[in-house]
Amino acid sequence: MSRAGGPAWVIGLDDPAAADAAVVGGKGAGLHRLVALGARVPAGFVVTTEAFRAALGDRTGDLERPLRALRPDAAIDEVERAAAAVRARLLETAAAGPVLDAVRAAHDRLAGDAVRVAVRSSAVGEDAVGASYAGEHDTYLEIRGAEAVADAVCRCWASLYTARAVSYRGHAGVGTAGAMAVVVQEMVPARAAGVFMTLNPANGDRSTVVCEAVWGLGEPLVSGAVTPDRFVLDKISGEVLRREVVAKPRRLVRSSDGAASGPTEVPVPPDARERPCLDDAELAELLAVARRVERAAGVPQDGEFAVAEPGGPEHVHLLQTRPETVWSARAPRAATAGPGTRSALSAVLATLTRGAATPVASPTPTPAPHEGKPDHGG
Amino acid sequence: MAADRFPSPFDIETPPGAEGWESMYDWYHLFGPERRELDEGRFWFADRLHHPDVLHPYDEIQCECWWQALGAFNTRIFAMPPSFGVDQRIVNGRLYVTPVAAPAEQIAARAEEFGRRAGHYYERWDAIYAEWKEKVTAKLEEIRGLRFDPLPELEPESTVYEHVGHSAGFRMIRDFDRLVLTMYETYQYHFELLNIGYAAYLTFFAMCRQAFPDISDQSISRMVGGLRVELYRPDDELKRLAKEAQRLGLAGRLGGTEDAATLFAALRSDTAGAEWVADWERTADPWFLINTDPGHPGGYHTYPTWADEPEIPLASVREYLRRLEAGESIDRPTDEVLSERDRITAGYRELLADEERATFDETLALARQVFAYIEEHVLYIEHWMWATFWAKSKELSRALAAMGEFDEPEDMFFLRRYEVAEAIYDCVAGWSVGSRPRGADHWRPIITRRREIYEALRAWEPPPALGPPPTQIDEPFTVMLWGITTSTVSEWLRADGDAGTLRGTAGSPGVVEGPVRVVTHPSELTEVQPGEVLVCPATSPSWAPVFARVAATISDVGGIMSHTAIVCREYGMPSVVGTGNAVATLRTGQRVRVDGSEGVVTVLAPADAEPDGAGRSGSP
Repeated sequence: MSRAGGPAWVIGLDDPAAADAAVVGGKGAGLHRLVALGARVPAGFVVTTEAFRAALGDRTGDLERPLRALRPDAAIDEVERAAAAVRARLLETAAAGPVLDAVRAAHDRLAGDAVRVAVRSSAVGEDAVGASYAGEHDTYLEIRGAEAVADAVCRCWASLYTARAVSYRGHAGVGTAGAMAVVVQEMVPARAAGVFMTLNPANGDRSTVVCEAVWGLGEPLVSGAVTPDRFVLDKISGEVLRREVVAKPRRLVRSSDGAASGPTEVPVPPDARERPCLDDAELAELLAVARRVERAAGVPQDGEFAVAEPGGPEHVHLLQTRPETVWSARAPRAATAGPGTRSALSAVLATLTRGAATPVASPTPTPAPHEGKPDHGG
Repeated sequence: MAADRFPSPFDIETPPGAEGWESMYDWYHLFGPERRELDEGRFWFADRLHHPDVLHPYDEIQCECWWQALGAFNTRIFAMPPSFGVDQRIVNGRLYVTPVAAPAEQIAARAEEFGRRAGHYYERWDAIYAEWKEKVTAKLEEIRGLRFDPLPELEPESTVYEHVGHSAGFRMIRDFDRLVLTMYETYQYHFELLNIGYAAYLTFFAMCRQAFPDISDQSISRMVGGLRVELYRPDDELKRLAKEAQRLGLAGRLGGTEDAATLFAALRSDTAGAEWVADWERTADPWFLINTDPGHPGGYHTYPTWADEPEIPLASVREYLRRLEAGESIDRPTDEVLSERDRITAGYRELLADEERATFDETLALARQVFAYIEEHVLYIEHWMWATFWAKSKELSRALAAMGEFDEPEDMFFLRRYEVAEAIYDCVAGWSVGSRPRGADHWRPIITRRREIYEALRAWEPPPALGPPPTQIDEPFTVMLWGITTSTVSEWLRADGDAGTLRGTAGSPGVVEGPVRVVTHPSELTEVQPGEVLVCPATSPSWAPVFARVAATISDVGGIMSHTAIVCREYGMPSVVGTGNAVATLRTGQRVRVDGSEGVVTVLAPADAEPDGAGRSGSP
């Protein structure tokens, strides 16, 4: 269902064409890399940038006219009104035509009505090192049914023109909106979910993977609304170096009724509240896959994961990963006090003259304020 | 106990019945009014690692040996930059120690000296260590060659015909001096390599912690350890004997419970059995010259060696044989430990900045070199030398008792070494003249009283520390050897804290639950059941076979480099070391959770019945 000779409108995450971020956006390309690494990711497809262009025909220029009319120093409410006008035009334009038929068909092939999906914007240029579009575009969870999915895809396209995104592009100097891909993935019925980082953001220790997790869906953790369990894992030895388990009285779960009401918050059963929400086998699996992703990327990564019911290492799914940006820009922590102490003997002397048994003060510069926990992507 | 300090050593009361205990120890080993101002300002901790129990007057020699030798090597010979020696005092028969820091203004100059002096050793480590083994082995042969027999009625004719020119009495005086001096000399060698070795080892630790603040001690230890060091040889010999017994078809005959003498007599009745017993006897020298103290091996004269009590190694052989017969492997997974060591090392190394890898490699190589010494010296000094020293001391005590200087041999150990020299002179003078020494009549009231004092002192529970604690404990040797850290001391000060939780050093990672088995004497090791959690003052290599049975180990003393921690890591079993008071607190049968990753022991359920074998053992 695409223009002859051009890229497909809808492709699977495992499709080699999904390696091209110009076609599937940053998020889509990232997920394709995970699939290619053999990581477990929720099944899904990408509505490509080609589909976006086909749905809007040649009218992108027209659509953006209200924005082009804005003065550079336009007030926020003016930007908001112009952006809303663009979104309305876009939804109207995109609602008809064969592209959304292709999306509906892909949805039916993926799941049918039985499964709920997440629909996420995947903009071209996002998730690149140095420029994070975190949270600038929309994500729709718990979507059920082909119609609802087609509608969510349109709204993702429209989110290219939220006031937030428009301002961000202006601020980041990215200019015009370009094209938007959309990722549609099965929702993992998460028993637990969280985030990880392949170094310790508190001290830059690259021998660790730090992981935070909660019972249920991960959104409350990602948005910073709850205190998660925290685990520090040693990449090399596999040990769980620290295990900070907190009381987790409530969790977010997918609603039991129907499509539209979204996730709901429910109490955690009393016997599970104080229990770690990840067991050693799940942590070991997460560690292994995090290391694989980091190794392939060549730089420290952070990411999101979910453990599907009923739990266990074979149910650990990666939802997304991306380069860590704060510590990655620095050299690894120094093991010695510098070039003058690079013989074993001078290292011995350095140890004996500064009190070896106490933790040695960090010789690396203090990082930018960073809360000692993984940076939650959007 | 005040919350911020431990009792002053000058406020410690003598336990009832122990009045006059001071006469049992040398005056320079006691707190005295001349040093009060100095000593009251210092932080002293009970050295339960080396001396967990009351010292016999004669055994004070053991403390003196390391007091002087450690001090001289740190302070005067290598100029260890931050550390002088470790000072000692005896209070109520227990040894308290305090590390003496070098004055801050001297550290830079000392570092320069240390660089040259220790550097000389580091560059030539393996060659110097080879020389060292020869020196120590020669000393061992020297004291093995000493003989203490009752003096003869008439000197042998050879004294005349070979123009010896001196008497057996003189030789007894001379040889006792030689015995003591040779032991002292060997202890010099002990510290010739030990602390500079530890310094290199600590440096590798510090380097890893600096690059990887989250890294566990166990990961660092694993990068250094896993070598096939001689320390494991005695246990390996027991395994070999078990395999030999199986090969010779003796498994059934060894499966009983009869004592070693009965068993060996029965085995000697046929070829296969006799072959095995002969193998055992060849193996016993030197590999069963193993002390069984629950703390530092060789610290007391009272503990037997494997050779003295063949039931101890025999129980291990029987256990290994049982496991062999059940189809289990009894070999330590040395190859796995080594390949895991290499994997871990490569993993961390890869994460370092390129320009630091060479330093990492060089420091690790040095740490591995010194580590062989750190482990093996225990066999040469703590086992072979001390076992021989105590055996020769007992030989002397038997000779003196036979000559009427004492009522019984054990009496000699209630005398200080200077007093023993006096007793020998008294005895030799009487013998030489053909007269009557003052002998046992003189010593009897003194020794009788000291035996009472000794018992009274054993009933005293020594405080873990004395005096004002420093705000931070960072003297590297204190932390690594004794496992005493700032938080340990805070824990001691909170002695009335949560009775359900014990904290110590995370010695070996993992979490298990199981019933407690308190063991304070090696004779109790045979009671240990599979899956139990061993609770002990400390362990020594002679306890090795028990590690195959237990699920976890908790010790009162020791740091991450203690024997307990090293062996548990080898066996992949959780351990919490340096808890301070697990033996006094936990009871056999209690269910506990041992978290060897965090260094925490949690009591889950009390022992159902009255504890058997709980608390301090009655047998020294």
